[in-house]
Amino acid sequence: MRTFAYARPARVEDAAAALSQPAARAMGGGTDLITQQHRGILAAESVVDLRGLGLDAIAAEGEGVRIGATVTLADLGRDEAVRERFAVLHQAASAAASPQLREMGTVAGNLCQQVRCWYFRHPDLTCWLRGGDTCYAQVGDHRKHGLEPGDCISVAPSDLAAALLALDATVDTSSRPQGIPLADLYRKASDENRSTLALAPGEFVTAVVVPRAPDASAYERAGERHAWSFALAGVAAARFGDQLRLAAIGVSNLPRLLDPADPLAGLPGLEQTAWKRRLLSGLAGQALARVSG
Amino acid sequence: MARLIKTEAVVEGRTEVRWTLVEEDSTPEWPADQPPGVVGEPTTRLTAGARLSGSARYTSDMQLPRQLEATVLRSPHANARLTSISLDAARAVPGVRAVIGPGDCPQFDGEAVLHDEPPYGGAAVAAIAAETREAADEAMAALDPQWEPLGFVVDLDQSLENQTFQDDPVEYERGDAETALAAAELTITSDYLAPAQLHNSMEPHCAVADWRPDGLTLWSSTQGIYQARSQLCGSFGLDQEHVRVICHFMGGGFGSKFGCGPEGVIAAELSRRAGRPVRLVLSRRDENLSTGYRTPARFSFTIGAGCDGRLQAVEASAVMGLGTGGWAYPVLEPVKSVYACEHQHLMTLPMRLNLGPAAAFRAPGVMEGTWAFEQALDELAEAAGLDPLELRRRNHTDVDPSTGRPYTSKRLLESYDLAAELAGWDARDELRSDGRVRRGMGCASQYWWGGGGPPAYADVRIGSDAKPVLTVGMQDLGTGVTTACAVVLAERLGIRPDQVTVRTGDTDLAGHGPFSGGSMTLASVAPAVRSAGHHVRTQLLELAADMFEIAASDLELTEGEVRSTDGTLRRPIHDVTEKLGNAWVTGSGSRAPNPDGMAVNTFGCQIAQVAVDTLTGLITVERVVAVHDIGRVVNPMGARSQVLGGILQGIGFALSEERVVDPTTGTVVNAGLEDYKIPTLADLPEVECRFVGEPDPELALGIKGLGEPPIIPTPGAIGNAVAHALGLRLREAPYTPRRVLEALQ
Ligand SMILES: Cc1cc2nc3c(=O)[nH]c(=O)nc-3n(C[C@H](O)[C@H](O)[C@H](O)COP(=O)(O)OP(=O)(O)OC[C@H]3O[C@@H](n4cnc5c(N)ncnc54)[C@H](O)[C@@H]3O)c2cc1C
Ligand code: SF4
Repeated sequence: MRTFAYARPARVEDAAAALSQPAARAMGGGTDLITQQHRGILAAESVVDLRGLGLDAIAAEGEGVRIGATVTLADLGRDEAVRERFAVLHQAASAAASPQLREMGTVAGNLCQQVRCWYFRHPDLTCWLRGGDTCYAQVGDHRKHGLEPGDCISVAPSDLAAALLALDATVDTSSRPQGIPLADLYRKASDENRSTLALAPGEFVTAVVVPRAPDASAYERAGERHAWSFALAGVAAARFGDQLRLAAIGVSNLPRLLDPADPLAGLPGLEQTAWKRRLLSGLAGQALARVSG
Repeated sequence: MARLIKTEAVVEGRTEVRWTLVEEDSTPEWPADQPPGVVGEPTTRLTAGARLSGSARYTSDMQLPRQLEATVLRSPHANARLTSISLDAARAVPGVRAVIGPGDCPQFDGEAVLHDEPPYGGAAVAAIAAETREAADEAMAALDPQWEPLGFVVDLDQSLENQTFQDDPVEYERGDAETALAAAELTITSDYLAPAQLHNSMEPHCAVADWRPDGLTLWSSTQGIYQARSQLCGSFGLDQEHVRVICHFMGGGFGSKFGCGPEGVIAAELSRRAGRPVRLVLSRRDENLSTGYRTPARFSFTIGAGCDGRLQAVEASAVMGLGTGGWAYPVLEPVKSVYACEHQHLMTLPMRLNLGPAAAFRAPGVMEGTWAFEQALDELAEAAGLDPLELRRRNHTDVDPSTGRPYTSKRLLESYDLAAELAGWDARDELRSDGRVRRGMGCASQYWWGGGGPPAYADVRIGSDAKPVLTVGMQDLGTGVTTACAVVLAERLGIRPDQVTVRTGDTDLAGHGPFSGGSMTLASVAPAVRSAGHHVRTQLLELAADMFEIAASDLELTEGEVRSTDGTLRRPIHDVTEKLGNAWVTGSGSRAPNPDGMAVNTFGCQIAQVAVDTLTGLITVERVVAVHDIGRVVNPMGARSQVLGGILQGIGFALSEERVVDPTTGTVVNAGLEDYKIPTLADLPEVECRFVGEPDPELALGIKGLGEPPIIPTPGAIGNAVAHALGLRLREAPYTPRRVLEALQ
């Protein structure tokens, strides 16, 4: 593994300054960052650990809740108020990864984690998303990829993203403390810019805010074994009065808001992924049934 | 007096004839009226504390003074020619002590270790030893290898079309299958596709070499210390006396670690050049690219039977993907040997692919063959309108159907009955429903070898403290055989197993012994241990006879005491041994051969109950009833652990484990544990484990082996259970959510 500088600043401004250096990367628990660095996918010169910033509180805010960027998935999963009022978030946080990873992984790190496509993570290949010319998945084995055609067919991996999107959450960043809708944290990668995050250089997530509690919410996911498996697909549903919000991961490049009346809209499926349509519609139906009043 | 005898043993499906040295042995066979003592009592692993606390030292934990760290450059291409490499640039990196490329390293078992035309992605090309891992990595980057990519084949059907065989095709015929099939009342044909399963032992392949002027010492994570020694002697032209191989604790091997491996040769060569000890531990990825796997195989069966379900003829073929090594594992053995069936024509085609070499993997061939054939039998049962267990009963055989030899013992019918009763087999149709979650139950038979045999040697010594030291020529790959040996010795000496110190895993300690494989270890070594223990017992009783003036024949060793049979004398054994001062009483034992002309096999039956979630596609194995006939059970706790481990590994094969090779680049895309999914404890079902059968009357101590049997029927039973649940059969394993949902589409 290549060596890199490590800093753990105590103030948000210092962290922002450190992160505006070239080849600097933000780090939460490091569970994704360090493995990417190890495999040569990332070549960070410096790593800025955000866990010294005091962004690790879960606090009621108005009718909703504010969750610090470095709150761990385990702490989020253990929070009683979250369990009672934001069931979908509790369920997503408790189902992700493994107990060990949940103790290390942070909320912002989870939202900002890279795709898990097995070509992207391959030490000997440089696929399109990594800056190369070829999407190996489209010509090769994409049995677990998305339902949506595009330059990159890998899927959004974060369970929390589905839950938070259904909850209509916003994200506070170091340079936009007033918050942005969660959907705006993400962007489609393009030929010019292969990032799927819409953050400016030096900008990082400081908190996630859920403005109000739903009347009912639920998370449904399918994995490849009974523990420690990324979601093949995950669907979050939240009901606010008679308004339904449905969001999914595992089926498209970015976390996706679904139409409750037609969850499969815009997701035709690819050569090897038609099976996921059945899965998605099953999970969506189940999640909707659980939140219906 | 020692004598040389010629013996025959079946090792993982291959018959081996060997000459072995056997001592004359006066140890009485276990008389029927003799109580088993501690043999058969549940005994905690002697090394449990060391393993749990972390004080057990595995090869990968070794830290010798001045030890260097090694890394290996591996080819990123499915097939390529190395056109240039900068070995000198790597040598110039600070902290680097040795660099070797193709041509610089001795061969391993007659094969190149470092390749200039690496024939698969992950093949070793160069190796570096440096002061630190970081320096080695930096040197690796300096190697700057240039490749000319070559054409490759990673597809089984393509290889078959090209007729590129890695090993000789195997053809087997008895009777006249063609004619019998034409005449059969019922015929079914079916195909199955088995995945490549990766071993993923907890401890990767690793070696620490210390090359000195007076000889080579290699710590190796190996299932065969003596094989490792011979291989190193062969590679480096050394005498046996100058090579010592040590393996004290081992984190699994499952068949992938017979001998010192290429890693042992690389570490030794680097140590020879650097004049320092060298440690080489493979990464999980390198492990999964280069150290072996269960071969993927495509099975085709045509089965002919009478309306009563009795098998008449089978034509079968198996196309196996061996990659660049391995041999034709006995994938069609379950067809040939488990049931009575007069006419057979079987073809096994071991194909070459641009993938790492295959290796034996816990019941190699037989597990995947059982998975396929036991499902084809269920298809036959359905066609015949028979209960699947009844079909198996009807095809039971009392003699080995390929040789006509009688079995030393066989309790298969009993296994069916007990398993059916414990599983609630008769009510299995009541499990079925058409809701979201569908349940089903399926069975499969188990067949394997595993009677053990010579050579195996053991030495026992006991000193004044009355705590014996047992030295056995073997290594414990993690099965608990060490503890079982202590149990066998403790019985002879009338003490507790935890009072025995067992020394194994060192070629300088004991003469010779078996490798850990083929479910043969305990059945091989236990009689040698007992015989060594018996010699010590005899001497102790003679000493006691002199001390207490009671005839030795009226004395016994029980519960740590010397007792007279009339009950008048009860003294701690220590009272006798303390008279020894610094002297020892010693005894040696060796393993005698098995009877000629008989088939030695283990048998069993497993019944699995599954729940298939038709919404998520995820299958849950809810319960497995495992009944096995393994002769005498020495340590039920250890035996149960073997069964649990085998079942879990079988669940992995059936439900989630599968190496995926990218068709366009020929590289493995899931060589890490994130994408290659071994089961976790959350996937472990409730297991009901029973052993049927008495000690095998024809075998020394009546022991048959258990390492492999428990994995053999699990995937087939699961496959049959899934078919029972869904009313349709998945022909390709593993049964991932994707395959389940595709099948339901
Ligand atoms: C084997 C495995 C299985 C997993 N399974 C699941 C699963 O089932 N579901 C799931 O949701 N996740 C899963 N994960 C992902 C795991 O939850 C994430 O690795 C974790 O949440 C990331 O958190 P972290 O704090 O360690 O991130 P880090 O590794 O520290 O960071 C990840 C990325 O986010 C960036 N980043 C971190 N913090 C910030 C910030 N505040 N602002 C902007 N960018 C930031 C980093 O620069 C980096 O690019 C799995 C991971 C592994 C390794
Ligand atoms: S799907 Fe995306 S990440 Fe995967 S190979 Fe294609 S471009 Fe790369």
